[in-house]
Formats: sequence, C-alpha cells, structure tokens
Amino acid sequence: MDLLDKYKKVWKNQPEDAGKRSTVEIYKLAQSKSSSIVKWIFIIGILEFVILNSLYFFIDMDEAYAEYEKLGLINFIFYSQIVAYSILFYFLVMFYLNYKRISATDSAINLMKKIIKTRKTVRNYVLFNLGYMALVIVVATIASIQTNLEDLNNKKILFIVFASLIATLLILGILCLFYQLLYGLLLKKLNRNYKELAKLNTNS
Amino acid sequence: MQKDLENKFLLDFEENQNIVHKICSIYTTNKDAHNDLFQEITIQVWKNYVKFRGDSKFSTWMYRVALNTAISLYRKSPRKVKTQDYSSFAYKIESTPYDDTEEKQLKALYAAIHQLNDIEKALIFLYLEDKPYKEISETLGITNVNARVKMNRAKEKLKNILNP
Repeated sequence: MDLLDKYKKVWKNQPEDAGKRSTVEIYKLAQSKSSSIVKWIFIIGILEFVILNSLYFFIDMDEAYAEYEKLGLINFIFYSQIVAYSILFYFLVMFYLNYKRISATDSAINLMKKIIKTRKTVRNYVLFNLGYMALVIVVATIASIQTNLEDLNNKKILFIVFASLIATLLILGILCLFYQLLYGLLLKKLNRNYKELAKLNTNS
Repeated sequence: MQKDLENKFLLDFEENQNIVHKICSIYTTNKDAHNDLFQEITIQVWKNYVKFRGDSKFSTWMYRVALNTAISLYRKSPRKVKTQDYSSFAYKIESTPYDDTEEKQLKALYAAIHQLNDIEKALIFLYLEDKPYKEISETLGITNVNARVKMNRAKEKLKNILNP
C-alpha cells in the first residue's frame, strides 16, 4: 500500500472534532460580523475616494481660485475638473461593480482575480488623482513663471522649479510607501496564492 | 421564506460542519485561529447560501466556499488574541476509544500538512477527502491536467515530509 493511502485511511478514521457546534451556536456565528479581506478592501477603497476628495475642503478654494485667475488658469482648472470628476464617477462605478462581482462561490482562481481587480481599480484611481495633482502643479508652476517673468532671474526660476519638484516627489514618495505597506500587508497572502495557481496555468 | 432558508442552512451546516473543522485544522495551528476561521467560514457560507441552488450536493458546494474563505478571504481578525500553539492537538479528545498508533499517525499527518503552502494544502485536503479530479480542478479553477501535475508534486512533497 502506498504511504499516502495508509494516511488516507487514518484521515478517514479521525474522530469528529471536539468543537462541534449546535445549530444555535451556528446561527450566532452566521450572524456575526465578517472580517474578510474583501470587506477591508471595500472600506479602504471608500476611504481613499473620500479622503482624496475631501482634500479640497482643507484648501481655501476662494484663495486658490483667485490665484488661478491671476495666472490665467481659470479655464484650465474648470474644464480639467469636469474631466476629473467624470473620471472619478467612472472609477466609483467600476469599483462598486467589481466589488459586487466578488463571490466566495467562484473557483479559487477567479475569486482571487476579482479581488485583485477590485483593488487595482482603487489603485488606478489613486494614480490618476496623483497624476492630476502633479499636472496642476506643473501647469501652475509654468504659468507663475511666465506671469512673473520680468521680476524673476534665472536663479529664482530654478529655485521655483526645484522646490515644486521636490515637494511633488516628496508627497508621491510618502503616498507610494504608504500604499506599499497597506496593500502589501493586506494582500501578501492572496498575491502569493494567486501566483502559485496562475503559474500552474501558464506552465502548460 | 427567510426563516425557511435559515433553518435549511442551519441543518445543512450542522450536518457537514466536520468538513469545516478539518479545513480549519489544516489552515490554522492554534485553537483561537481555528475558531476564528470557523466563524468566518460560517459567515461566508450563510452569506452565499441563497445562491446555493441544490443542483449539487451541499457538501460539494461547501468545500468550495470554505476553501475560498481559508485561502483568499480570511485574515486574522482582531476578534481574538493568539494563544499557545496546539500542536499537541487537544481537539481530538473524544470519549470514543481511539487507536493510539492511528492518533499518532494523524498528528504526524496534520503536522506534515502544516508545512505545505495554501494551495498544496487544498489539493491534499481534497485528495484525502477522495474528491475526483473534475471537482478539484473546478474548485481551484485550473485545468484537469494542471490539477494532476500539481497534485503529484504536492503528494511527493508530503511523502518526503512524512518519510524523509
């Protein structure tokens, strides 16, 4: 008899688990709160949408608009914000649809794919948002240099470019680190298991 | 209607809970984590029970939901704190007489399974439960051929751990 066949017999003969639950206990457990990874992705995803959009509340928008007006950027800001909000809406819908498609009754690999897809929707939204912020910073920097060209010497221009570059990189760097940590911790196991299954399917 | 569904679920789940216990025993190594995973699987099976059409056996359907929860959905929750390791396997204490050598072998088998990765654990579990390759490949979402290849590797690995 093969070694594993012997163990299979042992496996089959194992007694029932001592922690057998009654229907009342099962009922209570079924009603309790899930702490599944999908729930966390949903909560964190929603928080990201909320936090990125509430940043505007912390900035004095009247003052910002007055500044844009001075730089002749008011049209750029207006139209680009229409585009940005349409894209935000698109991402929110996609996020919700992807989230709803996640089902524990799927095959293991499909379930993993859908979880990863949902999280990627949020990641792409965050990337888009950061890209948009960077674009505004670049445009505003160029516009302010052009507007104040007479008062500026090369040294000052260089300083403005350098300062905004550093500030942008710093913010992006901190956010990237934060994301790596957050999703790295949350999805480490899932990514590893997905790779293990996917590797198998591409090998053949 | 909801009450009917609830009662049906409770009966189905109670009857098949040993499957869930076995899955918890291979994916966790202490009692608190075992109970925590058991709770999450119960939640997931109930949440999805409305989708269970009855065109397959409940147990077959539950294997899938329970394994998905263990492999992909479960995260150690802050519900409970981690306590000591239960490698001594107190969970097998039963009043029925039980062969001592078999108990030792079972302990060795669980200890060996704990050394496998999550996917290998699922494969070996389904093998031990005598599931056909068709069901194994559908549960994992891989082709039949891949399921066989991967199963052979997992079995070899397990054998090497059991009998080095």
